[in-house]
Amino acid sequence: MVRAELLKLAGLPSVWVAVALSLLLPPVVVLLNARAASSPDTGFLELTAGVLGPLVLGTVAAGSEYRGGQIATSLVCVPSRMRLLAAKTGALVLSVAVTAAVGAVVTPAVAGVLTGGTGPRIAGVVVYWVLDALLAYGITLLTRSGVLPLTVLIVNSTVVSVSFLLTRLTPLAAYLPDLAGAQMFIEPHDVGTDLTPVTAGLVMGAWVAVLLGVAAYVFHRRDA
Amino acid sequence: MAGPAGALTGGVITIEHVHKRRGRTTILTDVGFTARPGRVTGFLGPNGAGKSSTLRILLGLDRAQQGTALVAGRPYGQWRRPLTVVGALLDGSGAHRSRTGRAHLRWVAASNGLPRSRVDEVLELVDLTVVAGQRVGTYSLGLGRRLGLAAALLGDPAVLVLDEPVNGLDAGGIRWMREFLRRRAAEGATVLLSSHLMGELAETVDDVVVIDRGRIIAAGTLAGVTGDHPTLEDAYFALTSTGTRGRW
Repeated sequence: MVRAELLKLAGLPSVWVAVALSLLLPPVVVLLNARAASSPDTGFLELTAGVLGPLVLGTVAAGSEYRGGQIATSLVCVPSRMRLLAAKTGALVLSVAVTAAVGAVVTPAVAGVLTGGTGPRIAGVVVYWVLDALLAYGITLLTRSGVLPLTVLIVNSTVVSVSFLLTRLTPLAAYLPDLAGAQMFIEPHDVGTDLTPVTAGLVMGAWVAVLLGVAAYVFHRRDA
Repeated sequence: MAGPAGALTGGVITIEHVHKRRGRTTILTDVGFTARPGRVTGFLGPNGAGKSSTLRILLGLDRAQQGTALVAGRPYGQWRRPLTVVGALLDGSGAHRSRTGRAHLRWVAASNGLPRSRVDEVLELVDLTVVAGQRVGTYSLGLGRRLGLAAALLGDPAVLVLDEPVNGLDAGGIRWMREFLRRRAAEGATVLLSSHLMGELAETVDDVVVIDRGRIIAAGTLAGVTGDHPTLEDAYFALTSTGTRGRW
């Protein structure tokens, strides 16, 4: 069943665009920034932009079910909503993790900062991308359309970070999923509250767990 | 039951005392009927009468507040590889627009552990091989219906549940569908199809179930339901509210 869900993802052109985007964008940003002074986060800060791909992947994985009546076909094939959701979530995690692992090695390599000691930070990137994809996925399961989550999450992670602005109002904003999650692999300079990478992962993981729990409950209860 | 295709026999559809509300609106009231192997059962009613809702409950897509809907003795949701038991055609193609027809059938086959070779077989069966590599978004209504039917046939099921199967088909397509379903029933399959079009149906069905405003108002053999009326269509208008509401 996970295979069927992987086939579903692979059959959509937008999925491949998202994967290409997340693999190409961060190294390009590294190259463009090459002349700027390097910081401890060079080669990793750029990866926060690559999270665009996982956001699209998560949104498409859930939202595509509600295009062309595919959800009816999916539930006719796999009537147990929980089994369907488990397979779908598994396929998403797998494809984002593979993409992230490649991206998180290539980008620091391009920046020339890939050393033996970067292992934990690379793991941080993979976890961050996977959790961000799950965040978009969970929201889309609830809204049944990708428009809202894509707009909010992409604007927030690229153009204007509302979460970051909120840190100016309250230090608690550092516990918002995106800001907390990013601390798994970059050193925060001005978010106010400093989290260790592990705490950061747990905070973001908790957000995602709650969201997926609610989404699964709603998905289980409502008519397709 | 003659012939080797007796293997298709055995899938009775039993719906009993189904009630469905959506918010404060009552969609179905005490809906119940049976569709038997070897027969084509026509589920008739005007638009909005509750045909699709009933079929969606039968397939586990929507939940009823009360009642049971069984396929071959079990609720649909309890079948582990349901495509090998029931083939379902719902509205539209059931496929995402930016997927190719073949890619759609591949994931459907994979979800039920069906061999990939079945994909090409059903594409051939519904005469869709030529356009299988094109995106579903480029398909006409009729092609989309054929793709949906191809998906329904992947597991070679003994039960077919089809919501408005001839909708959007041209004259040739309607004739093809009619002959296909007749042949399937002759081989022992249970065929349940819904329609709001009487003309096409009278020549296809053995049994008729008529639903109106969420209630079953007649059920029986084609001859039984037609009764003293000249045609099934006349009986239908006499039975349903369509006649009293005027043409539209």
